[in-house]
Amino acid sequence: MATTKIPSSTGVSPDAAQDMAGDGMKTVMMPVGVPGYTLRQEPRTMPATQPPVLPINADLKFIGKSPERWDGPAKVSGRARYTADIQLPGMLYAKFVDATVPHAKVISVDTSEAEKVAGVKGVFVIENLLGSAKLLNPSLEVSKYPIVRYAGQPIAAVAATNPQIAEDAAKLVKVKYDVMPFVVDMDQARRADAPMVFPGPANQAGTAGGGGGAADVPQTGNIHGPSVHTRGDIEQGFKDADVVVEEHYTTQVQVHNALESHGVVADWKPDLLTVWASTQGTASVREGLAGFFNLPKSQVRVITEFMGGGFGAKFGPGNPGVVAAALSKQTNAPVRLMLDRKEEQLSVGNRPSSDQTLRIGAKKDGTLTAIHLVSYGTAGCGTGAGCAGPATNMYKYASLRTEESDIFTNAGPATAFRAPGHPQGAFALEQTIDELANRLGMDPLDLRDKIDENSARRVEREIVRNSAIWKSRHATPNVDHGHIKRGVGVGQAVWYRNISMDSAAEVRVHQDGSVEVLSAVQDIGGGLKTVMAQILSEQFGVPPQQVSVKIGDTNYPVGPNSGGSVTTASLTPAVRDAAWNAAQNFLASIAPALGAQPDDLVLANGEVSSKSGKFQPISFRSAAAKMNTSEVSAQARRIPDYDRKAYETYGGVDVAEVEVDMEIGLIRVKRILAVHDCGRPMNPKQTMNQINGGVIQGMSYALYENRLIDSDYGLMVNANLDRYQIAGSREIPQIEVQLIQSYIGQSSTDASGIGEPGGIIGTPAAIANAFYNATGVRIRSLPMTPAVVLAALANTSQQKETA
Amino acid sequence: MNQFVLVDCTTVDGALSQLKDGSVVKAAGVDLLDRMKNGTTTPSRLVNIRNISALRGIHPSPEGVTIGALTTLTEISEHPLLQSHYTILTDACGTVATPHIRNMATLGGNLLQELQCWYFRSEEYECLRKGKEICFAFSGLNQYHAIMDYGTCPSVAPSTSAVALLGLNASVELTSAKRGKRMVAIKDLYVHPDANPTKFTVLEPDELLTAVMIPQPAKGTRSAYQKYGEKQSNDWAIADAGVVLEMDGNVCRKAAIVMGSASPVVRHAPEAEAMLAGKPITEEIARAAGKAAMQGAPLQTAMQGAQPLSMNAYKVQMFPIAIYRTILLAAGQMGRDPSAAS
Amino acid sequence: MSGPKLPHDSSDLPQDSGVAQTAENKLGKGTTGITRRGFLKGAGVTAAGTALLEGARAFGREAAATRGEHPEGVREFGPGPVAVTLQVNGKERVIHIEPRTTLADALRLEMAMTGTKVVCDRGACSACTLLMDDIPINSCMTLAIDAVGHQVTTIEGLTESSEGHSMQAAFLKHDAMQCGFCTPGMVMTCSALLKKNPKPTEDDVRLATAGNLCRCGTYPRIFAATLEAAGVSDSESTHNA
Repeated sequence: MATTKIPSSTGVSPDAAQDMAGDGMKTVMMPVGVPGYTLRQEPRTMPATQPPVLPINADLKFIGKSPERWDGPAKVSGRARYTADIQLPGMLYAKFVDATVPHAKVISVDTSEAEKVAGVKGVFVIENLLGSAKLLNPSLEVSKYPIVRYAGQPIAAVAATNPQIAEDAAKLVKVKYDVMPFVVDMDQARRADAPMVFPGPANQAGTAGGGGGAADVPQTGNIHGPSVHTRGDIEQGFKDADVVVEEHYTTQVQVHNALESHGVVADWKPDLLTVWASTQGTASVREGLAGFFNLPKSQVRVITEFMGGGFGAKFGPGNPGVVAAALSKQTNAPVRLMLDRKEEQLSVGNRPSSDQTLRIGAKKDGTLTAIHLVSYGTAGCGTGAGCAGPATNMYKYASLRTEESDIFTNAGPATAFRAPGHPQGAFALEQTIDELANRLGMDPLDLRDKIDENSARRVEREIVRNSAIWKSRHATPNVDHGHIKRGVGVGQAVWYRNISMDSAAEVRVHQDGSVEVLSAVQDIGGGLKTVMAQILSEQFGVPPQQVSVKIGDTNYPVGPNSGGSVTTASLTPAVRDAAWNAAQNFLASIAPALGAQPDDLVLANGEVSSKSGKFQPISFRSAAAKMNTSEVSAQARRIPDYDRKAYETYGGVDVAEVEVDMEIGLIRVKRILAVHDCGRPMNPKQTMNQINGGVIQGMSYALYENRLIDSDYGLMVNANLDRYQIAGSREIPQIEVQLIQSYIGQSSTDASGIGEPGGIIGTPAAIANAFYNATGVRIRSLPMTPAVVLAALANTSQQKETA
Repeated sequence: MNQFVLVDCTTVDGALSQLKDGSVVKAAGVDLLDRMKNGTTTPSRLVNIRNISALRGIHPSPEGVTIGALTTLTEISEHPLLQSHYTILTDACGTVATPHIRNMATLGGNLLQELQCWYFRSEEYECLRKGKEICFAFSGLNQYHAIMDYGTCPSVAPSTSAVALLGLNASVELTSAKRGKRMVAIKDLYVHPDANPTKFTVLEPDELLTAVMIPQPAKGTRSAYQKYGEKQSNDWAIADAGVVLEMDGNVCRKAAIVMGSASPVVRHAPEAEAMLAGKPITEEIARAAGKAAMQGAPLQTAMQGAQPLSMNAYKVQMFPIAIYRTILLAAGQMGRDPSAAS
Repeated sequence: MSGPKLPHDSSDLPQDSGVAQTAENKLGKGTTGITRRGFLKGAGVTAAGTALLEGARAFGREAAATRGEHPEGVREFGPGPVAVTLQVNGKERVIHIEPRTTLADALRLEMAMTGTKVVCDRGACSACTLLMDDIPINSCMTLAIDAVGHQVTTIEGLTESSEGHSMQAAFLKHDAMQCGFCTPGMVMTCSALLKKNPKPTEDDVRLATAGNLCRCGTYPRIFAATLEAAGVSDSESTHNA
């Protein structure tokens, strides 16, 4: 607690006061488990300065309720200013010149014609490219300019007084290429005679959102890996097995396609670089720019008041960020550089493909004995195609071996994408488990009860078991006659309790009764601003609309980068601690004027009252007027989880009902039941909205989305939103979300994140299992388009599986 | 998008006088702006006909109905008389792209839009239809391409309204300043790539498509159109079928069965039509007609029947189903298919 | 290739096209059996557009609005900036734009009305939805000059109206947004639907929004909000609100 000293008498909740540990710690009882199922009290030891334990949501006024989205009015009215909307006096508009070939050495970049165009104020040629993997030994490639490793790679940029001039001028930049052999198809890239994407070993660093790949792995040709992990002895495990299922799965490349493209507005001034960025991490952008330009972080300010979606792809300044900043420095003017949709499809990330061979052994009673996963995937000229997360972490009783390899191809580098590796890993794992249940003659939920040690998912399966959708499931596949067949299937999700210690907030109370909270953290759409307001409301007893939430600015205390579903879990305890401390400071500040002791004062219902009845309750605003300074405040930083070992993973269970048109080959998802947990839900309506979104993005991935690159030319043919297929309004099923409260006793808010576990991991597998339940046929490759469905149905006779 | 001079015209004569020097006609501009933004076309002079009010409107007459070229697809699809008498047309226009596009796009523009092949639409690929030597789709990504009668270019007919208008035996009115008006049947409007790879229609550079004329349907006519894609929101047809049945009670006197996304030029399925003529419509015969359509004799090339490319054999499975279900829909024996986009 | 014999075998094409196409693709040969030596625009030579922008640039040049020799009903604009008068949200706005400027860009850049978003820039996502004479259209695929003589209503204008208020209130109540980037376009579309069809079904809402892309996946809430604004009883999709 940097700015406050709290008297210990107010720092400890009454029910725990006796149990003070000596070293500034206390041990208190916290709610743990799922209300209605497993709720109990468990002791947790924490710093004595931690605020009182929050009861479960039912006993709270603001936290755990669903007030309207705090910044909703700005969003529905178009008033919300996103990076793409920022306009500054004298601002220039920049446009990239992109590579038109997939693999080449750039011989020269002639910008002279572009510079002659009236209105062009600056030209920048990239010499240090971000995003792609880097050669460990750069001397293998001597080139002034970065080697082009994918079509769409930015080469230069032009800044002009309006976007039309910038676009015209960018077309006049002449790039001379020495074209090199290329490969974009993963299977071709694996061959010994394939063109090499990198002439030697290369690594790509991950981002705050994950991605990147293992660094210390072998590299042969384009094969970067394997990265091997083992747990126990799988040879023995397979010997012990009564049943072994082995299958092969493939998944496609998915592109994030956040609606707001990547980009920044950069304003370089001698003593301060200010950057408005569409980012999931103001901190990551500041760190990246400070590092790139060798500036002290204190001279870089990053602002993200609103951002139009990221899904994992928006960390760090990226090429748009550094190029805009360089152009701003060069031209002495603010520069806006937003990518167009084609660039967005090609150059700023994607979910890697996968090619998985999964082998699982089990005893007759369902006990898993061994899991062996061999996976390949292409992250283009990046790494991070591993997808062993679900196989490693969903069912922990089995012995395990995973071998993950990246295959370099001449395509844009992957980045983290909502639960990196997990939708593809779960697509294979959860179908294989479903198949195992069939072989063993077990119900798929019963089998998972046997092999899944996660207690929250056990409750979730119980909810599924009692649901109408599950009860409507045919016990055996391929029951329906006629050309429409109906099926129900289940898929599980696993995710991790990730915490960023770079999570701080400051809360201020002003003499006029206004309250504000500040943090550099950004709201990427999940609704963090609302949750922060709710926390202040809970502590101060004033409604959320009266709280001011100021975030998305590195001038405020540091905030976490929003990747790995860390934000709510990491930041909300800091906000609560700061709010609680500020409230104590506030009470201490007004107590003398009220003739009361601070611990006699209560903040609730927009009023300050006296426990002992010393005075009639007065409004919060008039109490604030009695402050002995114009402002009181408190800042707090995240402290570690109280007892994290016990709750490292969480997840959910998704159920899909599909109708398959057997003649046309179309899968229509009719209903989804998504049962999920994320610790204490802070704002259930917003949380469930995110789960809707995960389900829909998972369904869209499973059925429609596919980046298509012509393997002979290395150019993407559907780099738009017309031919890159994303589920729209008419594809959306009826979605029922059951959000359970799953208290884990880990922090002063006890919240976890939902962005990744919620829907996108389990839904594709659930749809695939539902397809099997409907038809008796397995689909082991994504997306499940009519072409794939009709081919699978035609191959029915070749199916190894017997129902 | 490149710079251009915009010549705005409010009369047909005014517009005709401006069709010179490589000028390109713009109506709503939905297709043209897409190609200009993609950089596949860079005209320096656009003749804007969008504001010619004389080219808007739906005009029924005893002979049939005349639709002005600038009438929007929404205006057509929501027109009560067209809905009852020319269901195939309102079905077709109602499935194009998105509601917003249909609010903008004109009938003339829909008929004259250029190919939707992704190679053709990409700036980088200099293909046969752009006057170069090669088609990239044959050994490239061709999952949505043609399965019949494609010859040198397997791009599929892009216009959905053309499917309906061919089924209705409609004609377009082409107007030039020098030669006046001429009527061209829809079946003669499009140029197959084998005949001329860079000329997509018979429209001459000095001509405007000014109207579409549809004859009065014979008594007892019922019609329908359905399109099938990977998704129902905003997708192109993978398989589609337009069906016009001249019914006498339950017996079909005469049938028109038309496919759009099967071949480069919208085409009838004469084998399927022959199968229905003179017979009662049943599921069995509708299914047989769908299959027969895939055996179709070549109309424009020497290609007998469906000959799928490397990635689109599934379309050969989908088309017969699209046809049979749409026959039954037109005949009133089956509801609108929930798998179809409409 | 397993498909049909090509009508023309592309391997017969001249092997040296004169274009420096040095990206010989050995794998392409091996797998397809033919050499695809098509001409990629500018490949191996230069990234510059070939025939663009010949002649003098016209930036800053006020184009003559009308040139004498044109017949009645014909007016020529551009290619440089021209003065255009638009009716936006009931107010007259005069801007100077090139004819190639889209309505979306004119609003965002020339009038600082940034509620209208540009996402796909091709009419495929409808984030740029606004109303022209009460009809929802894609402003990214409409030239600003084509809006002359029409009433343009943007999200900023709708916000001032009662139907805008009720739709926006319903969006807030159902939390029909996440990142918010599709939201103005969704509000415009759904509000226009109610003007045309005051009592829609959920299917009607789905049809009306079939061109509006939401990448966060808030559709169920949007359906519910629109039905709520219409005073139609809640659909199943509101169960998780």
